[in-house]
Amino acid sequence: MFFVTYVRRELRRRMRQAICIALGLALGVGLVVTVAAASAGVTKAQLRVLRTLYGEATTVTVTGPKWQGPSRPPKGTPAPQMGPHGPEICVAGGTCTSAAGKTLSANDTLTEGISVAKVAAAARLPGVAAAAGGIFLSESTLSWPKNGASTARRGGNALGARMGGYSLEGVDTRHPTLGPLGGASLISGRLFTAADANAHVAVVDAGYARSHRLRTGAVLPIVGPADANGHTPAIRFTVIGIVRQAAGTNPPRVYVPLKAAQDLMWIKTGPASLQGKVTTIYLAAASAADVPAVTREVARLLPGTKVTSASGLANDLGRWLAVLVLIAAFAVASLLTMAAVARRAAEFGTLKALGWRTRRIIAQVLGESAAVGLAGAAAGIALGYIGAAIIAAVTPSVSATVGSDFDSGGTRLIGGSPVQTVAVPLHPSVSAGMIGLAVLLAVAGALLAGAFGSWRIARLRPADALSRVA
Amino acid sequence: MYQLTRVAKRYHKGRRTVAAVQDLDLTIDDGEWLAVQGRTGHGKSTLLNLLGGLDRPTHGTVELDGTSLGALPETRLTRVRAEKIGFIFQTFNLIPTLSAAENVETALIPLGTRSAARRRRVAAALESVGLADRAGHLPAELSGGQQQRVAIARALVKDPTVVLADEPTGNLDEDTRDDIITLLERLWRDRGLTLILVTHDTTIARRAQRVGVMHNGHLTIRQDSPNR
Repeated sequence: MFFVTYVRRELRRRMRQAICIALGLALGVGLVVTVAAASAGVTKAQLRVLRTLYGEATTVTVTGPKWQGPSRPPKGTPAPQMGPHGPEICVAGGTCTSAAGKTLSANDTLTEGISVAKVAAAARLPGVAAAAGGIFLSESTLSWPKNGASTARRGGNALGARMGGYSLEGVDTRHPTLGPLGGASLISGRLFTAADANAHVAVVDAGYARSHRLRTGAVLPIVGPADANGHTPAIRFTVIGIVRQAAGTNPPRVYVPLKAAQDLMWIKTGPASLQGKVTTIYLAAASAADVPAVTREVARLLPGTKVTSASGLANDLGRWLAVLVLIAAFAVASLLTMAAVARRAAEFGTLKALGWRTRRIIAQVLGESAAVGLAGAAAGIALGYIGAAIIAAVTPSVSATVGSDFDSGGTRLIGGSPVQTVAVPLHPSVSAGMIGLAVLLAVAGALLAGAFGSWRIARLRPADALSRVA
Repeated sequence: MYQLTRVAKRYHKGRRTVAAVQDLDLTIDDGEWLAVQGRTGHGKSTLLNLLGGLDRPTHGTVELDGTSLGALPETRLTRVRAEKIGFIFQTFNLIPTLSAAENVETALIPLGTRSAARRRRVAAALESVGLADRAGHLPAELSGGQQQRVAIARALVKDPTVVLADEPTGNLDEDTRDDIITLLERLWRDRGLTLILVTHDTTIARRAQRVGVMHNGHLTIRQDSPNR
C-alpha cells in the first residue's frame, strides 16, 4: 500500500526528528500515567485512612483550627518536675511530693472547638445529607515506679515516668455511622443508640480491650476534669461494645457519647473548654457529585477550619505538573512537525502539481504523526510503568493527622507536641484505562501537531510551495 | 488546445506590485512544441504556472480544451492537473525517500489507479526512458540525468495531453542535456503531446516548433521552426 510505504520511508528518513517528537510525547504521557497511577494508589489508601478515621459514610470532614493556647495544664493542676531527690509532683502553692508509685492523668484536645450550632448550620448546607459533631480527646498518663527508680533507660521520659494513654472519640449518638466508629465492625455487644446520649457508656477498640482485659459490661475508668484542688478523678464508664478497625490504621481506642466527651475535657471553662463544642464535624454528601460543592460551602461557612474531602488529596497530586508537561510536549511536537512540514514545502508542492488533493497530503502527514504518536504512547506507557515502580519503591504513605498516639509518643502533660500520623502505604497501579488514556493522549497530541503542520500545507498555493526550492 | 486571452498576473511584493505577465494573448495547438525563452524574472515560470493551473491569472482567461482554469474550483483544477498535465522541473523534484518506481507511481495515486495497473504502467514508463533496471533505486543513487529521466517518466506515466517543462536541462551537463532533449523530442513525437518548455538554451529552443520570448511580462513569438 502506497500510503504505508510513504509513511514508513518518511519516518525512516526523519528518524532522529521522529524519535525526538515521540520521546517528547512519551515524557508527557508517561508523567500523566505516573500521576494517574499514583493518584489511584493515593485514592485507595486515602479512602482506607478516611474510612477508618471518619467512617464509611463520611465524605467531608471539618477539623477545628490547631489549638494555639497554652500547651501546659491550667494553673493549680498537679505537674511533674525533677526535684533534688528525683521526680516530684507539685500542686498549687508549690507543694511538691515524691512521684514514686504515683500516676498523673489528664486529657486534652489538639484543636479548638467548633460551636455545635455550626454543626446544625453545616447540616443545612445544600448537598449535605447528614452532619454530626465529634470530639477527639487525648487521654494521657504518666506513672512512676514505687521504688522511685528512673525508667528513662527503659523507655520512660526525662522525668523518669512511663508514658501511657489512648485516644478517645466523642460520638454523636444520633449519627453513630458518621465518624471513626462508622468504619468499625462490631465484634461484641452493641453500638450507641440515641438513648445513650447522656449515659456513661463506652465502646472500645478490640486491641485496646485485649491489652486492658476489657469485655462487654466491664467498667472503664476515664480521667475527668480537674476539681477545685487540681485533681482529676476518674469517671466510670460501662463498656457496651467492642469494635475492630482495619489493620494498619490507628483509630481511637475508646468511644463515648458526645456529651460525656464534652464533660470529660479537663478544662471546664474558658476558650479551651469544650462545653457546647465539637472538635470535628463529619458530613455525608448527598452524592459524590456534591462533594466539591459541599467542600467549598463548608469552608466558606467555617473559615479557619481544615476541610478534608475524599477526593481532595489525590486530585491535586502532580495534576498540574502533568498537564503542564503534556502541554509542553504537545507544543514541542507541534513546533517540530510544523518545522518538518515547512522543510517539505517543495515536496508537497510537487505532489500538488501532480494532482494530489490537499486532503490526501494532509492524510499523509497525519499518518506519519499518528505513527509517531503510537511510538510515543508505547514509550510513554513504559515510562509510566517505570514512574509507578519508582513511586512504589519509594513507598510514600497517605497520612492523616488526628491526635496523639500515647503508646508511642509524647504527652501534653510534660509540654510535648503530640501529633498522630496514620499512614497507609501507597501502591500505584497502572490500569487498562490508563493505558488507553496514554495511547489516546499521545496519538491525539501527535495528530494535533500534524494538524498544525497540515494547516500550513492547506494554505500553500502549489506555485508558492514549488517556489520555495525553485 | 490552450487559449490565453489578455492574461495578466500581478504579485504584491511588500508595497510594490510586480506585473509578471501582461496582456498575453496566445494559442497553443494540440501536439505543438512551444519553447519559451527570456531572462530571469521576466515571467517565464509564471506563464508556465498559469498554463499548469498552479496559479490563477489576475486578469484574463487561460483555457485548456475550452475550460477556463482560473475559474475552476481547487478540487477540479487539481483533477485537471492529475489527468491532463505533466510537469518536469529543473531540480527534478523527486521525493528522496521513494524509489524511482515509487516516484513515478506518485503521479498515478490521484487517478485512483489500482495497484497492479500502477505497477504495470510505472514499469512501462521507466522502460520508455531507459531506466527499467533502476526502478528500485533511490534518487540519491541516480545521476542527475537519470533523475530527470525518472521525472520525465513521472510526467508521462499518466498519459497527459500537455507536458510543461521548466528548464529541464538546467542542472545537467551538455551530453546529458542532449540526451534528455532527444528523449523529450521522441516522446513528444511518439505521443502527440503538447510540450511547453521553458529554457535559457537557444540550441534547445531551436528544436521547438515555435519559440516565444518573455520580456517584462510580454510574450513575443519569434520563430516558427521547421518542426511546425
